[in-house]
Amino acid sequence: MKILIVDDSSTMRRIIGNVVMQLGFSKDDFDEAEDGVKAWKILGESQYDIILTDWNMPNMNGLELVQKVRSSGNHQKVPIIMITTEGGKGEVITALKAGVNNYIVKPFSAEILKEKLDGVLKK
Amino acid sequence: MSMSQEEIEALMSGLDIQEDESPAPEVQEQESESEPAIEEDNTSMSEDDITELIAQTDVPSEEPQEDSTDDTVSSENIDELINSIEEESSETQADENENIDDILASINGMDETTPETPAAAVTQEANAEVPTESIQSEPEKEAIAKDWTDGQIDQGVFPFPVEKNTKVVNQLSEVATDREEKASKIFDVLSFILDENNEIQKSSKQMDEFLAKQIVLLDSLSKKFPNISSFKSNLELAQSLQAVPQDIINKTNAENSQLFEAMELMQFHDINRQKIERVMSVIKKLSTYLNNLFEDETDYHDVATAKHIHGDVNSNLVDEQDLDALIAEFGN
Repeated sequence: MKILIVDDSSTMRRIIGNVVMQLGFSKDDFDEAEDGVKAWKILGESQYDIILTDWNMPNMNGLELVQKVRSSGNHQKVPIIMITTEGGKGEVITALKAGVNNYIVKPFSAEILKEKLDGVLKK
Repeated sequence: MSMSQEEIEALMSGLDIQEDESPAPEVQEQESESEPAIEEDNTSMSEDDITELIAQTDVPSEEPQEDSTDDTVSSENIDELINSIEEESSETQADENENIDDILASINGMDETTPETPAAAVTQEANAEVPTESIQSEPEKEAIAKDWTDGQIDQGVFPFPVEKNTKVVNQLSEVATDREEKASKIFDVLSFILDENNEIQKSSKQMDEFLAKQIVLLDSLSKKFPNISSFKSNLELAQSLQAVPQDIINKTNAENSQLFEAMELMQFHDINRQKIERVMSVIKKLSTYLNNLFEDETDYHDVATAKHIHGDVNSNLVDEQDLDALIAEFGN
């Protein structure tokens, strides 16, 4: 299983990577991108089973990336989990309408991510 | 000129025995600052007397004792002292005036030769301060102004000057960037410890497997050769050490879970960065708004503005009477 982690903060990417490794994945199981533009480029090069993306990023934000993934390319059906500090109800609704499968508000624990990952992968 | 023993005792005790004399004000002030007990020494003291008194004042622990004993002596002998002074007053009046000059001269002389003397130090300070204030050059004035301004900034009265290091958005941006770098380094350290723990766990497992094999081997050997005690003792030792690798694994597991918790908590670096970025955004927008608000698109030029206007709380304001008086004074 391949996972793509998209976040402009290198610390956050490493934190998510560590949590993913705690769940039994290895370092080879995930790739990283620092914004939507780079993520879109990587998605064009490889096939991923799940995308974990932040919202607020430079160049192309997470919401724009979700809209782009859902509208074109070969990852239209791939589960996407948004991991962001945006905790407003309006933002959650916007993200879900854009095509996000699940939503995590920072800070989060390893258990929360595990639950959400299990949830989207079972579907 | 020469002092009697009683006079010296009186001087030592701090009695005022010079009612009819004209003391030198400077000397009195200086000595009163340094040692109140020798305030009235300016009657007819020789240089030796002064040196002796100064030497005595150098030992502060003895002062209270001397003062107390001298006080009692002086109160007993006060009439005697006054009488003796009255007798000598006519003869010594002229001499005393000369003596005062001598003392002043000798003290001035001491300023140069004995700078350690408190009175001399005060004189030097006083002499040193006066000319510097009177002849302040422009750089000195600027330095004083700078000191004052720095003091006001330190107290928070004035804001920091607009420089690269003090611009608010610049500083916040630096904090956000620096935070990311430092967080990454902290993460490196935590990851290193995590990797090392994993290595320790691997080694511990190997040790555990080896010990298990050794126990089996020693057990069979000790059964086959019950007379050889070293098999039995080594078996017991191996059995006692069997719990150690598992204990190490358990401890590193607990350590790892703490490390993972620390890593999770580092999410707040990212959350705080976003808070800082939000503040930066507000400041930038506010700056743009205020610039637009105060921007003057007319052809406005600076005009001279009044310094004192009616209604100001200012002592320089003149009323009608002051105005008339000033006009009358100049007679224009």
